[in-house]
Amino acid sequence: MNTTDSKNNSEPEVSDGQQAESRHGERSALRSGPKILTTFSSSLGVLFSSRIAVIGLSIVLFWVAVAVFAPMLSPYTPYEQDWKAPNQGPTAAHILGTDELGRDLWTRLIYGARIVLIILPISEDLWLPGGTAVWGVFVALLFGTTLGLLSGYHGGWLDEVVMRLLDAMMAIPIILLFLIIMSTLGASAFNVVIAITIVGTPGIARLVRSLTLDIRTREYVKAAQTRGESSWYIMFVEILPNARGPIIVDAMLRIGYAIFAMGTLGFLGLGMPPPSPDWGSMVAKGREFILEGSFWAALWPSLAIASLVVGLNLLADGLREESMKYQ
Amino acid sequence: MNSKEKLHPILIEMKKDLKNGAVSRREFLRYASLLGASAATVSTLGGITFPESSVAATVKRGGVLKVSQQIQKIDHPARYTWIMPSNAMRQVLEYMTFTDENNITRPYLCESWSASDDLKTWTFNVRKNVTFNNGDTLTADDCIFTIGQWLDKEVKSSLLGLVGSYLDPAGIEKTGEYQFKLHLKRPEIAVPEHFFMYMAQVVNHRTFDGDIKKAPHGTGPFTLDTYKEGEICILKARKDYWQKGNDGKPLPYIDEIRFIDMGGDLAPQIAALKAGDIDLIDSSDNVGPRIMKAVKNDDHIEVISVTTATTRVLRMRVDIKPWDDNRVRMALKLCQNREKILALAYQGEGTEGEDVHVYPNHPEYCDIPVPKYQPEKAKQLLKEAGYPEGIDVNLAVASEWSDVVRYAEVLKQDAAPAGFRINIQTMPSSQYWEKWTEVDLGITPWTHRPLGTMVLNLAYTSDDDGKPVPWNETRWVDEEFNELLAKASGIYDVKERRKVFCELEKIMQERGPIGIAYWMNLWLCPNKKIKNLLAHPNKYLFLKDIFLDG
Repeated sequence: MNTTDSKNNSEPEVSDGQQAESRHGERSALRSGPKILTTFSSSLGVLFSSRIAVIGLSIVLFWVAVAVFAPMLSPYTPYEQDWKAPNQGPTAAHILGTDELGRDLWTRLIYGARIVLIILPISEDLWLPGGTAVWGVFVALLFGTTLGLLSGYHGGWLDEVVMRLLDAMMAIPIILLFLIIMSTLGASAFNVVIAITIVGTPGIARLVRSLTLDIRTREYVKAAQTRGESSWYIMFVEILPNARGPIIVDAMLRIGYAIFAMGTLGFLGLGMPPPSPDWGSMVAKGREFILEGSFWAALWPSLAIASLVVGLNLLADGLREESMKYQ
Repeated sequence: MNSKEKLHPILIEMKKDLKNGAVSRREFLRYASLLGASAATVSTLGGITFPESSVAATVKRGGVLKVSQQIQKIDHPARYTWIMPSNAMRQVLEYMTFTDENNITRPYLCESWSASDDLKTWTFNVRKNVTFNNGDTLTADDCIFTIGQWLDKEVKSSLLGLVGSYLDPAGIEKTGEYQFKLHLKRPEIAVPEHFFMYMAQVVNHRTFDGDIKKAPHGTGPFTLDTYKEGEICILKARKDYWQKGNDGKPLPYIDEIRFIDMGGDLAPQIAALKAGDIDLIDSSDNVGPRIMKAVKNDDHIEVISVTTATTRVLRMRVDIKPWDDNRVRMALKLCQNREKILALAYQGEGTEGEDVHVYPNHPEYCDIPVPKYQPEKAKQLLKEAGYPEGIDVNLAVASEWSDVVRYAEVLKQDAAPAGFRINIQTMPSSQYWEKWTEVDLGITPWTHRPLGTMVLNLAYTSDDDGKPVPWNETRWVDEEFNELLAKASGIYDVKERRKVFCELEKIMQERGPIGIAYWMNLWLCPNKKIKNLLAHPNKYLFLKDIFLDG
């Protein structure tokens, strides 16, 4: 529910920001010099001039840091079972306590952050860099951006077909779509990426399309057309870089939603298969023992999900606010 | 004592055993009642009385009982695979016999029975003056029709494996309006107990057409008013039930029962129980100490505990690689650290298992050692079986049964040193039940059954053609085991029976298809205003003589 609400609220703001960003983009595109460096430093400038963004960034960086250095931050592995001491509160040996199988909660928490942000486990031994949530949003961005650019730039029947299809997908409630996809495909990290992709693509495509509709009327696009550039070149070299601001802000928010979705799926038993330290399933398993008086196992992963989602939202909000100042 | 009552020779033998202490009082009671001796005879013969449940002197009539239960899809009673639907329909349809909380089987719709000396011919007398709720009178035809349904291969009842192993449809003989005889293929002592299996509800042969919802005509104290899958089941009291209450008027005492579907999740059900929105949780298929631990300090809720043979079975399909190799099965079984599994999965509220589907409270249980956790030996066995590098296996579990998931997680961890790389596949329980007999490796919940032979006959034997019976989820068919089991089912003497069971259990432990790490204690946690509620080890609900007070 929260996901849909905040998303609806954010839509109009995004379109405001989108105009601002594209104007800003226009200016920077006209500037000379090494483009990437300028972009990078100006982004950083934007970031640090917003206090909200800095707070958000520090939360996110905290989780990224503990995830990256997880093996160094704990003497345990996330699977080690100390079966004489299940469901313990914080102690010197286990700083956040232990879960129902006597596993160290701090260790499971930081290894859980790895799955979200740093690694995508494909099988027991094989994993890809980049977290599950990050991969999900990234792949959704690839598809969404391509579809959005195509329908925005070409318009006509292509636009109609693509947009109606995506509308149809958006008409299905997100959580329902997740459930359908996951119960069909089965529980695994790779399938979570597929689910996040399928659910995220329509929104991104709509955003990119609206940006494209605006940008394609600009003079530099006209100029490129006059030069006889191919439509692929215009879409990906002329339009896309100038639309990146709102897309980045949107992506930040989407990673937040993706983490939320992973939590939900894990909670419903449809996320990562056990004994993976998936935050959602940690909450689900810990919840069973709340009524018996040991609430730690449910508390920490809940806080982790909440803090990371809030952090990403703050970061996105700060970025958006700052970029609007350029108007 | 009625001097005309003919005693089964077994009972006369047994009486001696009772005297010299070879048979326990409880055993004697059980066999005496199974063989159809009346309560009066038993008390004279054995100098003991049937345990009688105490009934409060004054009862209150009226009121609505609210029970939370998943309202599942049902059609044929003989096809129930869960206890829950049987618990709702148990109030509408009844059984020929009744096995009480002490594992003693008593007369019910069959008012008496007797067995021939060789235990191969059984005569059942049907109770007179019992009517169905549509006005029809219960006769031997209804019982014969019901048994026929179990034995009908088209119906695909799980009772086919149990009752079908000793009875053919041709072996049923109607000998009177209220009497029928069963001619068995082999001796069997537990026939009356089998008549109380939860899918053995007696249907009306005149109106039943395969879907009980269409013609819910039973002899029970309630009538079916509404049955909406996933929503609610409403039962209303009938006025002309055959059993009378303490106040001389027909049972039941309460007017209405509402089974309300609150989903499979326990938390909202516990909250509703604590708030008094419901009076009882039907947790028959969702066991665990969770409800008990959550409500044990609540003043409004009573906690009644029962030791049971309810368990989780780690079952391996022996017709699928790699489980066709006993060394691989043995290796996985050796990877169970039972003490740890019991402590973590079920918080120690049970007994350790021995990979044998017979529990210590079964009368014929033969004491065998609990296997130790031996990962080194398991590794060696895997190597011998041709997996020196270890082996990848998928383990199917349903995510709702949290103790099963914990069992799987502990097993995964402890089996890793032996070379098992277990990939736990979670799924909703509904999905698991769709393929519980099909998955190659999975953990299946099995409910309590009062006799050791019952579950062995249900799940570890073959039919006459040598094919595994419907509930043989592992497809394990072992000829020696089959023969011994058939032999054991026909032996009355517990000592003799136990001897055969020692062999049976040894075979099962050494080359069987299952691991059993723990037996579970169960609890019934009703609101204290429910009076006279019987806590049954099967978690069957008997609501005809409960009443609400306070």
